Amino acid sequence: MSDGPLIVQSDKTLLLEVDHPLARDCRAAIAPFAELERSPEHVHTYRVTPLALWNARAAGHDAEQVVDALVRYSRYPVPHALLVDVADTMDRFGRLTLANDPVHGLVLTTSDRAVLEEVIRSKRVAPMVGARIDADTVVVHPSERGRLKQALLKVGWPAEDLAGYVDGQAHPIALDQSSWHLRDYQQEAVEGFWAGGSGVVVLPCGAGKTLVGAAAMAEAKATTLILVTNTVAGRQWKRELIARTSLTEEEIGEYSGERKEIRPVTIATYQVITTRRKGEYRHLDLFDAQDWGLIVYDEVHLLPAPIFRLTADLQSRRRLGLTATLVREDGREDDVFSLIGPKRYDAPWRDIEAQGYIAPAECIEVRVALDDEERMTYAVAEPEERYRIAATAQSKLPVIRRVLERHPDEPSLVIGAYLDQLEELGTALDAPVIQGSTTNKERERLFDAFRTGEIKTLVVSKVANFSIDLPEAAVAVQVSGTFGSRQEEAQRLGRVLRPKADGRQAHFYTVVSRDTLDSEYAAHRQRFLAEQGYAYTIVDAADLAGPGEVNGPDWVDEPAD
Amino acid sequence: MSADRPATLAAWLRTRSDAQLGALLAARPDVARPAPSDVVALASRLAVPVSVDRALDELDAATLQVLDVVLLAGTDGVDAADLPAALPEVPDEVLAGAVERLTTRALLWGDEVLHAPDPVRRSVRHPAGLGRRAAELRVPLPADLPAALAELGAEERDVLERLAGDRPVGHLPDTGSEAASPARRLLQRGLLARIDALNVELPREIALLLRGAQPYGPPRSRPEPDVVRRDPAVVDRQAAGAAMESVGRIGELLSLLEEEPAGLLRSGGVGVRDQKRLARALHVTEPEAAWLLELAFAAGLLDVGGPHRDEWLPTRAFDLWREQDLPDRWATLAGGWLATVRLPALAGQRDVAGKAVNALSPDLVRHTAPAIRRSALAALAEYPAGSGVGAEDLVAVLRWRTPRRADRLAPVPDLLAEGARLGVLVGGVLSTGGRGLLTAGEDGAADAMRGLLPEPVDHVLAQPDLSLIAPGPLVAELADTLTVVADVESSGGATVFRVSEASVRRALDSGWSATDLHDFFARASRTPVPQALDFLVDDVARQHGRLRVGAIESYVRSDDHGLLSQVLNDRRTAGAELRRLAPGVLVSGLGADEVLDVLREAGYAPAGESSGGAVLTRPPARPRAAGRRPGGTGPQAPRPLTEAELAATVREVRAGDAALAARRGEAVRQVPGVTTAGTLELLSRAVREGVPVWLGYVDAQGSGSQRIVAPVSLAGGFLQGYDERRGESRTFAVHRITSVALVEEGDAAPPL
Repeated sequence: MSDGPLIVQSDKTLLLEVDHPLARDCRAAIAPFAELERSPEHVHTYRVTPLALWNARAAGHDAEQVVDALVRYSRYPVPHALLVDVADTMDRFGRLTLANDPVHGLVLTTSDRAVLEEVIRSKRVAPMVGARIDADTVVVHPSERGRLKQALLKVGWPAEDLAGYVDGQAHPIALDQSSWHLRDYQQEAVEGFWAGGSGVVVLPCGAGKTLVGAAAMAEAKATTLILVTNTVAGRQWKRELIARTSLTEEEIGEYSGERKEIRPVTIATYQVITTRRKGEYRHLDLFDAQDWGLIVYDEVHLLPAPIFRLTADLQSRRRLGLTATLVREDGREDDVFSLIGPKRYDAPWRDIEAQGYIAPAECIEVRVALDDEERMTYAVAEPEERYRIAATAQSKLPVIRRVLERHPDEPSLVIGAYLDQLEELGTALDAPVIQGSTTNKERERLFDAFRTGEIKTLVVSKVANFSIDLPEAAVAVQVSGTFGSRQEEAQRLGRVLRPKADGRQAHFYTVVSRDTLDSEYAAHRQRFLAEQGYAYTIVDAADLAGPGEVNGPDWVDEPAD
Repeated sequence: MSADRPATLAAWLRTRSDAQLGALLAARPDVARPAPSDVVALASRLAVPVSVDRALDELDAATLQVLDVVLLAGTDGVDAADLPAALPEVPDEVLAGAVERLTTRALLWGDEVLHAPDPVRRSVRHPAGLGRRAAELRVPLPADLPAALAELGAEERDVLERLAGDRPVGHLPDTGSEAASPARRLLQRGLLARIDALNVELPREIALLLRGAQPYGPPRSRPEPDVVRRDPAVVDRQAAGAAMESVGRIGELLSLLEEEPAGLLRSGGVGVRDQKRLARALHVTEPEAAWLLELAFAAGLLDVGGPHRDEWLPTRAFDLWREQDLPDRWATLAGGWLATVRLPALAGQRDVAGKAVNALSPDLVRHTAPAIRRSALAALAEYPAGSGVGAEDLVAVLRWRTPRRADRLAPVPDLLAEGARLGVLVGGVLSTGGRGLLTAGEDGAADAMRGLLPEPVDHVLAQPDLSLIAPGPLVAELADTLTVVADVESSGGATVFRVSEASVRRALDSGWSATDLHDFFARASRTPVPQALDFLVDDVARQHGRLRVGAIESYVRSDDHGLLSQVLNDRRTAGAELRRLAPGVLVSGLGADEVLDVLREAGYAPAGESSGGAVLTRPPARPRAAGRRPGGTGPQAPRPLTEAELAATVREVRAGDAALAARRGEAVRQVPGVTTAGTLELLSRAVREGVPVWLGYVDAQGSGSQRIVAPVSLAGGFLQGYDERRGESRTFAVHRITSVALVEEGDAAPPL
């Protein structure tokens, strides 16, 4: 019996013992075909899904490599049936290929006639294919390329897309690396993406996804459409692109609710594209406004459904998806796979943290006991009101203040979901509040002030969840949230993970009302963070030590002697 | 024919040496007990159809082909020297071996000239796959047969070619009456004979003509399938993987059933709902769950139990089993599987009535299953370690070995798949464990598997996300405890447990204290217990038991706490069994009347209280019996019989009548009692002569009937025949026939 670091479970999860000497090699061997699901302290869990296996096939790995990796690193004998299943699943990929035929244009060809027969008979696929050219080939209308890939994935015969891309209108773009350098993993990510043609790069928040985008643009040297979640994120992109590439302000357009500029590089928000008037999407022309050579999707995991539909029509253009997590709360990971592309690169948070590119974080849950009156209000409240009552309890206020006092000189964010509570906090803490109705101009002013250190504390609502860049936020205090959403947690944590100038530790506090729904949701978040490998501590509000006290934030254990 | 040649089987037997007779008895042990009184008795026993069938069933295709040559010869007796000419492509040693096997078993007799005994002729229905002669089938063949065949269309010719193959009998396609299928056209031309409503037979002459130079069909040589070769070490590792998986799953399954047993259906077996529940809990498919149930049952770890004997529960053997080490546990499963008379793969398939068969249902029993399983594995075991054959090839080999039992081979692929799930074989190659099982039983299996399976671990790794990971199979005690305090999230080589609020509460409910839990986690975990886990335990423990529930019969309350204390301390009220529940409230396990009486006697002045708090001035109630609720429905009227049921009942009555009358007629010979040989003899005679028989029959539901049946065939312990009175063609199990008699010609049953 070998003594490998890997245990293969019947449900196709893989348990990797991280302290094992072979753990690093093993991780490298299984990463192409298994998605990291949880990475707590001792044993990481990977899952082998059909999608992950197909991702591996798309990246050029074959079943033999997968089986070999499983068998070589497994501590216990691996059931034959599981290996057979893995091989069978991988074998399904590439039986069908989409290719360009010099005569007929886009065609679907097969190396296995029975498969082609099966899929063109299926109800889902039949309407998308045209005339049969020969026994192995069938014409596909170019506009159906995306939808066909989607449908084929659903019927379990994913197609390999070899039809290639249009180059788009050339536009000179180069990286300006005079004052900085692309990090190794960013370089690898760009190479992985470019070699594969289209696909998704998964990097943690704060790991410099914007730069991966910029480097991809420099590789494409063509007009580029960048889709982002909101205007602030768009401006952020613009600033970065001007600073890091040869692009000038005039070459970059903003296409948002406020401005409708179309330039060689255009940054558009999801919202403006999905705006409908009289049931029609008003801004679809944008996609045809230029002969785009590259389309970048920021925060793929938030990509709204209408954009998926639009993306289906853009299959001949190179597509780059950027995200911190492929987990979608709506479970549409397979659409990301078929429409944007397979995962081309990913690196676990902890690895990048270990390399010093993102700040180490300490997650602390502070438990607040409600006073009797609040408990009574909570006890008699309607079920749908309960979370709000627990999350916005007055008793939290002194605790939040105390938490902020622990870090008097650090830039801090207080994040919440309920506007009343935020207003109250703003007043009590004497800090400006940023929420949905705050104008973009005002937001940018406040962010700038925060960046320069003029303002120490900001109170922000959900709007700040995404894509704002606050390099110096070292402390985040979360007071209320959206029912324990994993995604929100990842984003909020990302706010403090950007590397600090002096390599300080980041602090991520969650203030929770004890014995209420609030603490139940906190348990979800706690699990998520622990699964991501973060140290997670729970303290009672009463035990929360201030600076200079035993166990306070700056407390260093004295040597015993 | 020279005069000194023996003229009969008995005479020939007399000429056999002792060794040869010994070999005969060894090959056909059923004729040896009890010892036959003389050679004539032996010869007559050898002629018993069942014995002949059995002997023939064990022969391989090559041997049977030689027998066919003798059976098809126009003369009675074939010169052994003529055999090579009849089968030119068969090597001489194969021929000699076949003749040797046949004469040893007395299926052929004679030394130079080989004779086939009559029972053998009867037992081989279609020698060499040929039908009866046209004359026997009463089909007038065209004068110029080759010409008639030459002018046939391709479709018709195709049908004839097929029937000229292995089986001369075929089903008519069900195309309705007017459609002219090729087979029907052939019938019209007189090239096929109809033998009943559904089947046709190809006359021998036509088949011979089509076969041309090979009247006995192509030589039946032993198939030589492609041998699969794999590294034995890899095979063993993969088998061990499957073994671990099976043992783990069975353990989980039975633990689930321990908590919530599955109900026993009235028809036996496990209900679909229970099966679904188990599949969901185990994260497996339903067929997989059915297989696990069957496996657990086969290994004796699961059976019917419970206070009303209506639940599927783990057996006591399970308690011993779980304490054993992995190889022994596996051997128990594999041994149970090898010996079971059930075919687990049939679960979920539809029976003739279109109803899905439930797992563990008695319908899955096939008494031939162990023999088939063993013969399939034995055939694989003939290949050296690390090699074997695929399922289809194995079936081909087995079919060649026992062609007359080919119909029993249908389950073989499923059996092999089951073996693969267990780790007895991997991809057509027997594992060392599988070989051990076959040659040395469970001990052999366990020994062969030892060293391949991991040693159990006695610790877990606790992680901050509240998961506990057991990095290997757990020792039984720890596994038991963990299932109480945590939920299994993923199983296999390791087990991932998750501690949740619910699981901690469950542990507290079953008597653990928070301290116990802290201690347990600290002891069981090799990694430091994460803070979050301790917090979780404390959080749940703080909430646990804050509400208390108990049962009392009555209470005594008062705003005067002093008075209550006085009552409680009063010796005279001891009879009321009062205790203080809270300030101002005393409770008692006795009824309110009794407490009132005790208090009144002790000189207090208590008042009764209604549930709403009002003072009752009268005693709570006068004693009354609980009466029946008015308005309940009376006994329901029986459901009226349907027309079909009425008709069936009438037909049954008339058929019984007629049978009785027929039996009373002097011309009917009755065989009393049940003598299988006698019954069979009579039945086969009836089949041969086409004479109707009177049957006393007990059906599968145990109800007896008497019927007159025109027998069609008798094979494999089943009589097929047409019951004229009931207007149905059906199959009768011979062992259910209680008595039988021939109905002689001219004694037709009275008309309806």
